[in-house]
Amino acid sequence: MIVQVKGLVKRYDKLVALDYLNLDVEEGEIFGLLGPNGSGKTTAINCILALLKYDKGEINVFGKPMRPDAYDIKKDIGIVMQNVAVFDELTVFENIMYFCSLYIKDKAEVKRLTLEAIEFVSLEDYKNFYPKKLSGGLLRRLNIACGIAHKPKLIILDEPTVAVDPQSRNKILEGIKKLNKEGATIIYTSHYMEEVEQLCTKIAIIDKGRVIAQGTKEELKAMISLGEKITIEVYDLPENIINELKELSNIYSVDYLDNLLEIKSNRGKNNLVQVMQFLGDRNINFSKVLTELPTLNDVFLEITGKALRD
Amino acid sequence: MSFLLYKARLKCLLHNKENMFWCYLFPIMLATCFYFAFSNLVIEEEFATIKIAYDNEDTENDALKEAINQAEMTEGTSMFAVTYCDKEEANKLLNSGEIDAYIVGSNNPELFVMRSGLNETIIKAFLDSYRQMSATVETILKNNPEAMNNGLLEDVMQYESFVYEEKGKKNPDIVLVYFYSLLAFTCIFASNWGFDEVICIQADQSFRGARINVSPIHKMKLFLCNMTAAFTVHSGSIILLFGYLFFALKVDFGDNLGYIFITCLIGSLTGLTLGAAVCVWLKFKREVKEAILLIVLMGGAFLSGMMMVQMKYIVADKIPLLRYINPVNLITDAFYSLYYYETYDRYLLNISILGGLAILFGILSYIGIRRRDYASI
Repeated sequence: MIVQVKGLVKRYDKLVALDYLNLDVEEGEIFGLLGPNGSGKTTAINCILALLKYDKGEINVFGKPMRPDAYDIKKDIGIVMQNVAVFDELTVFENIMYFCSLYIKDKAEVKRLTLEAIEFVSLEDYKNFYPKKLSGGLLRRLNIACGIAHKPKLIILDEPTVAVDPQSRNKILEGIKKLNKEGATIIYTSHYMEEVEQLCTKIAIIDKGRVIAQGTKEELKAMISLGEKITIEVYDLPENIINELKELSNIYSVDYLDNLLEIKSNRGKNNLVQVMQFLGDRNINFSKVLTELPTLNDVFLEITGKALRD
Repeated sequence: MSFLLYKARLKCLLHNKENMFWCYLFPIMLATCFYFAFSNLVIEEEFATIKIAYDNEDTENDALKEAINQAEMTEGTSMFAVTYCDKEEANKLLNSGEIDAYIVGSNNPELFVMRSGLNETIIKAFLDSYRQMSATVETILKNNPEAMNNGLLEDVMQYESFVYEEKGKKNPDIVLVYFYSLLAFTCIFASNWGFDEVICIQADQSFRGARINVSPIHKMKLFLCNMTAAFTVHSGSIILLFGYLFFALKVDFGDNLGYIFITCLIGSLTGLTLGAAVCVWLKFKREVKEAILLIVLMGGAFLSGMMMVQMKYIVADKIPLLRYINPVNLITDAFYSLYYYETYDRYLLNISILGGLAILFGILSYIGIRRRDYASI
């Protein structure tokens, strides 16, 4: 086990930020911490990194208790913070070199790793630029390079794609996959479920400081009753048809708004065929049909009663 | 200590334009202002023979005239350049500004002046002393005439000095005091660098601090590295100011150049660690801490007499302990003791306490920032 968190409690006066949080991150995983803003993701990360005091619980990293002076553990951890944490007075090259030299003593090695990190985040053309001259996306890439240059075994990325353009976001996500392939274990926090779904091999969904569900994305989706979401564009659908649709087997929710009919069905086969046949039998004309499998947002919605981005 | 970390930090500090202005340029600008403003002050306050007129009808028996003629500013330099004339002529000379005062001699001599100033004060003090002496001699003659034969008259007639000459190693230069104050304040301004160094490595103060705290580097090592870089940059500002005063403005620091420079370096170190300690131990937002540090510095400067020289004596009289815990006062007092005293006892006392404070603030800072976790970040 690379990271093990047991019964972690963190309070800020009366506010409970982490409420008996449990996490297990195994070697080689891309572990996603998914939750809305304020759910406790960053607090959990800060506790794991021994930056924050906590009230109760136990944290082990690489099988050893994590403490502020656990230098032997810290040398193998890389952190990419939510906020860009670089020196405005140093160039891209100098920034990466500075943070790398906090971990590595040999100057030649630091230089080599710095150049590798620059190549990894594709900042070769900007290595002599000062951070203020970089766009938001490039700045995020610099932030990542500063965190991973020393080739850590465990990389923690706390919302690394916030306010990043799609091109940079894709680059970042590709980079994270590459780091994982090279052997690093990744902990990735985000409130973007698409990213987590695309990237992570194991996911913990957090809300109000508690893990409300944990597993692979398939396991998480299997936890909920929603099997399929069917959206059909229909004009002037009478009320009685909507009520009849609700009576169909396996259908548990029907909404009609702005000429869009949204039907949610339980897990099962032929739900779409059944709905199409029903509309066809009643001569209801429809144009577009869209079916979706449940997302992590649906998982969150079903468990907590609110959408992930609320 | 990693040279790479030191070099990077040095570059960061040199790119901090705001601090660089206050540390490097502002003292130079202030020194230039002082030079042009106060060099005239020295010219005006240089002691020179005072021009007076003297009128006395009783020319036969005139002790005052004799006293005026014998009075000396310094050895071989007469205190007064006297024009003998009548009262009407003297009045004309006074009105035209050719003399500072005129004296009408009699049993009760009278002094006439147009304005108040240093020369007028000296003449008045001279005349008061003469009157007092005359009265003393008169009383002795009346009550104990024999005492005159025992040399008492000679003793009484010893004129006191109206102009006190400093017995220091160099001629006194009043402008030096202003430059000493400027140097002292530049030294203590190092506290801003110390403040920034703590901000940089504390996880609860900056995002960079948080990233640094996650790394395996020892806090003591990084703190020393950063403080050394800050000390290097600040020493540069001291050297620049010193060089500017010495070479460009030709300020004569006399034989004490080395001691003044040592004081500057120790003062800078104390300022640096003071800023760090204030930043570590005050649990407020950055802006509030900065304001408090400024109050501490300005308060220290005020209590050391930088803004009002009497304050130094009030503090020494009412709260003597404050003299020894106020770093600004210790720096200025070290400079003054070099200026006023021939021995180095008081200077060494000031420097020792200043060094002690630097060590104390340094230890306090380290205790505050050493590797730990935070209640909130």
